[in-house]
Amino acid sequence: MVEGIIIQGLIKGGTYALLAVGFSLIFGVARMINLSHTCFYMLAAYGIYAFAKMLGMPLIAAAVLSLLATTIIGILTYRLFIDRVREHHVTVMLITLALAMVFQEWMIISFTSEPLGAPSFISGYWEIIGVKVSYQHLLTFGVALAVLICVWALLSKTRLGVAIRATAQDSEIANLMGINVRRILLVTMGMAAVLAAVAGIVVAPTLTLEPRMWTSPLVMIMAIVVLGGLGSVKGSFIGAFIIGFVEVLVVFLMPGGAFLKGAFALLVMVIILLVRPEGLFGIAFEEERL
Amino acid sequence: MLRRLLKDFQGDVLAIPGRLLALIFFVILFFIPLFLQGSSGSYYLRIFIFANMYVIFAVSWDLLSGYTGQLNFGHALFFGVAAYTTALLNLHLDWQPWLTIPLGALAGVIAGLVVCLPALRLRGPYLALVTLAFPLILLGIVFAFTDFTGGELGISGLDRISNSRTTDYYISVAVMIVSVMIMWKLTDARSSLVRTGIVFHAIREDEIAARASGINTIRYKLLAFAVAGFFAGIAGAFHAHFMRIAGPSNLELTLSFQVIIWTVFGGITSIYGPVVGVYILFPLMELLRVVPEVRNLIFAGIVVAMLLFMPEGIAVWVRDKIERECPRCKLSNMAFRKTCRACDTPLYERAVD
Amino acid sequence: MLRKVIPVLVVCSLLVLLIVPGCGGEEGNVIKIGVIGPMQYVQGEHHWYGATMAAEEINDAGGIDVDGEMYTIELIKADSNEMTSPTDAAAAMEKLITVDGAQFVVGGFRTESVFPMIEVAMDEETIFLGCGAATESLCQLAVDDYDRYKYWFRVTPFNSTKLVSNSLMTLGMAGAIMQQGLGLEGPMTVAILAEQAEWADGMVAAYQAYVPAMLGMEVVGTWRPSATATDLNAELTAIEDSGAHLILTILSGPVGIPYARQLGELEIPCASVGINVEAQKDGFWDATEGHGNYETTLNTYAEGVALTSKTVAFIEEFQDRYDQTPTYNAGTYDAIYLLKEVIESTGTMDTDTLITALEEIDYVGAGARIVFMGTDTTTPHDVTYGPGYSTGLATQWQDGEMKAVWPNLGVGEWEGVTYEGVVMWQIPDRVIAYYTQD
Repeated sequence: MVEGIIIQGLIKGGTYALLAVGFSLIFGVARMINLSHTCFYMLAAYGIYAFAKMLGMPLIAAAVLSLLATTIIGILTYRLFIDRVREHHVTVMLITLALAMVFQEWMIISFTSEPLGAPSFISGYWEIIGVKVSYQHLLTFGVALAVLICVWALLSKTRLGVAIRATAQDSEIANLMGINVRRILLVTMGMAAVLAAVAGIVVAPTLTLEPRMWTSPLVMIMAIVVLGGLGSVKGSFIGAFIIGFVEVLVVFLMPGGAFLKGAFALLVMVIILLVRPEGLFGIAFEEERL
Repeated sequence: MLRRLLKDFQGDVLAIPGRLLALIFFVILFFIPLFLQGSSGSYYLRIFIFANMYVIFAVSWDLLSGYTGQLNFGHALFFGVAAYTTALLNLHLDWQPWLTIPLGALAGVIAGLVVCLPALRLRGPYLALVTLAFPLILLGIVFAFTDFTGGELGISGLDRISNSRTTDYYISVAVMIVSVMIMWKLTDARSSLVRTGIVFHAIREDEIAARASGINTIRYKLLAFAVAGFFAGIAGAFHAHFMRIAGPSNLELTLSFQVIIWTVFGGITSIYGPVVGVYILFPLMELLRVVPEVRNLIFAGIVVAMLLFMPEGIAVWVRDKIERECPRCKLSNMAFRKTCRACDTPLYERAVD
Repeated sequence: MLRKVIPVLVVCSLLVLLIVPGCGGEEGNVIKIGVIGPMQYVQGEHHWYGATMAAEEINDAGGIDVDGEMYTIELIKADSNEMTSPTDAAAAMEKLITVDGAQFVVGGFRTESVFPMIEVAMDEETIFLGCGAATESLCQLAVDDYDRYKYWFRVTPFNSTKLVSNSLMTLGMAGAIMQQGLGLEGPMTVAILAEQAEWADGMVAAYQAYVPAMLGMEVVGTWRPSATATDLNAELTAIEDSGAHLILTILSGPVGIPYARQLGELEIPCASVGINVEAQKDGFWDATEGHGNYETTLNTYAEGVALTSKTVAFIEEFQDRYDQTPTYNAGTYDAIYLLKEVIESTGTMDTDTLITALEEIDYVGAGARIVFMGTDTTTPHDVTYGPGYSTGLATQWQDGEMKAVWPNLGVGEWEGVTYEGVVMWQIPDRVIAYYTQD
């Protein structure tokens, strides 16, 4: 059972980390809560279904196309809608929420409300210390780690990364230092969309596609990001694994209450925040007057 | 005495277009049932009754999140707690709606105070996301104790508020107007009666500065949560009795998000904003039944479009078109006046030359 | 300039929308029947398809004969949006009856929404024939207040308590076939996998008591995932550890797809029987990428299986028109024929007379022989269940095709009960491979 908990927890955490890091990045840099973040995850998942199953393309081509399309939609969304109301924080949240509804309805109209299944990249499973893990899950975990390492390298080793971090710390000063803040925001939004799309592409085959699939991961990643400390990429990464393990522990230790895994994860978040109001790795907000 | 009241009425209501419109709106509400006779009338009245309940609900969110700045993403908690409390009291103890609705609202107050505990330490987005979690955790509890809560079936078979749709309607209108007036007074920064309005504003703008000025911000935050919980609770309890069922949909994320959409659409931090928002968007959803396939899409599209062109909300946008604040004495004037009605200061720069 | 024009345009279009619905409307010799359901889902879609098929057939044959005068049926479609909002569902129902003028209503699916829908229909004293919600308590309303709730009938499905006996019988059959086919010793073991929902609670309790008592099998554990869970890897790993031979499912939500898919993909050595609503739909095979092979679920219709003399023709016609196998929600077809039947036999549209006629009806529909339970029972106006009445089926996915496998090999009252077209239940390959390799 312990092996099961460890392996399942790592896989769950990896998926959440992919989604949460993008969300956290966009919050850290632009100070905005993007409620349509998980929609890009949904769009990418539906994209791979549409390209591969409906148009009969090879899976890799479908994945690349889907990734590209989602990223473009993400950047366009930012450019056309979010950028114009960036000053009003609540309006940003609401507009991203409304956009999420638009995406959801779009998917309902194009693919109906019925659950669909996307094709696996590799079918079958591997037994690791007696626990059956499907290749697709392993792939998810591997991709999650690889992508997150890339993000970390980008943020800490490149000029662009420095610019992004500078904007996150203080966008006005960054602007004065000659950083094109608007461009940085756009790039960040693109990166967040890519991360969400990658998650959608690798996770899609392990679950069902339905037009409301964006809501439950949205709640979970918001919990993760808050728990890790808003804007802290490291925090989101660790938070993702905490929440992943809590969910798996609930399933294994109280089988009759498996449905409570979401509620327990949220409870853990509330408790952590009561102890550390700024999250595990967040910067104390006390002095910052938003 | 009477003459004095009349004079106040002239100065404070008739002279300000926004208030005049509100008055006309309230008067129309009282006459609506006269125009809605016949069998289809009950359907239209149902829409108005729902709208009235959601107005209370949305205004209470505006008081808490708009005025006091305590961004609440889980406002459905108060609605749902009150609905379930009312339902349980009515079903098991057989208490009548006039008793269970206030008790449900009190349960909303308690829920408000419970949520407030983390709110005292958390701010901004942290608070928003923690409050988001509460109704979802409660939803888990609802599903864990199905004997008591009915699980996904909810608690059904509650007593009606009254036996006639028209009576229900008038009760809902009365409750709505009274609730909105109370909340408007509580948030009125210029009120000489209560000072909550100005304190709420201060907490939102700069909590540290407010505390430094000797305001017990904790007490006022508790108050804001309690008041919001109370009115959201009234809405939830009323809804439960009117629908004759309290179920998990009263706690779902959709409802929490819906209230934000209504309020921001109408205009946040304005009290009348959510009223306008609900009264436009709720009937709109009914009208869109003619195109069921794209109903939600059009709805979301309209919200996006309005936010892009009127990010402050439709009611605020309209108010800015018909009202003009005097630059000197801060009195509201009709937009077509050239000079202030009290101090004769020119209202527009250009009016001088 | 544009920034000023657009809001004005939006407001104008809203005004137009306000006015438009008030126009139109014509009268004639028509009977208006409302079809209400979640139209964006297969459930609502099939409500509508079944009703349309019946209405068109009746209208083509001349309509309904009311005391010598011919009436045609006019269907009114109402999207209840009931999956998301019971408030919306109640409003849709009220609009359907009061504004659109529906004289009878068929449909309904999600129980939390059907309750307020019933309330509205009862307020308006309109006959409401349910074709979706299985909760027993919907029919218990009339026990306490018959005069108010007498307008509500359930045409399909039979209520959820009867699902327990069907599931147990299917489980018994599958267990016996496995024990024989694989030469297993000792009692068979069963893992219960039920979504967390009120309607499943009673069933879980019944299973925990009856599986050992009636079938002599052993229950090794109960898992309760959420109805919308998207990943059951952890649950399935735990079930495999428990060493169960069979999984008894109660799944109505979308969770049924990842469950079946992962069960097949991870080659969990357990056979799965019970209720999996997703597996009743044609899209199941594709959605599980074929991993859903051998998934067994209770069902209502299966291609080529003659529940009554009308079933085969009904299914063929339905597939011809809509290219799908009907789900039980297409029982609106029978509901509309029931209305025709009582209106013609009484020659009136008077609601009370029609209710009396419905209470006494014995009608052979496409899904079952329909007889409503009496007012002296605990569930008045519920459809009668049992051999010779409504029995339902169990179907198994066998290499891409949905085959009926039960009623078959029954004992006692059910001995010899079967239908033409029912085939043998098959042991999943993965289970055979697991038990023959040791």
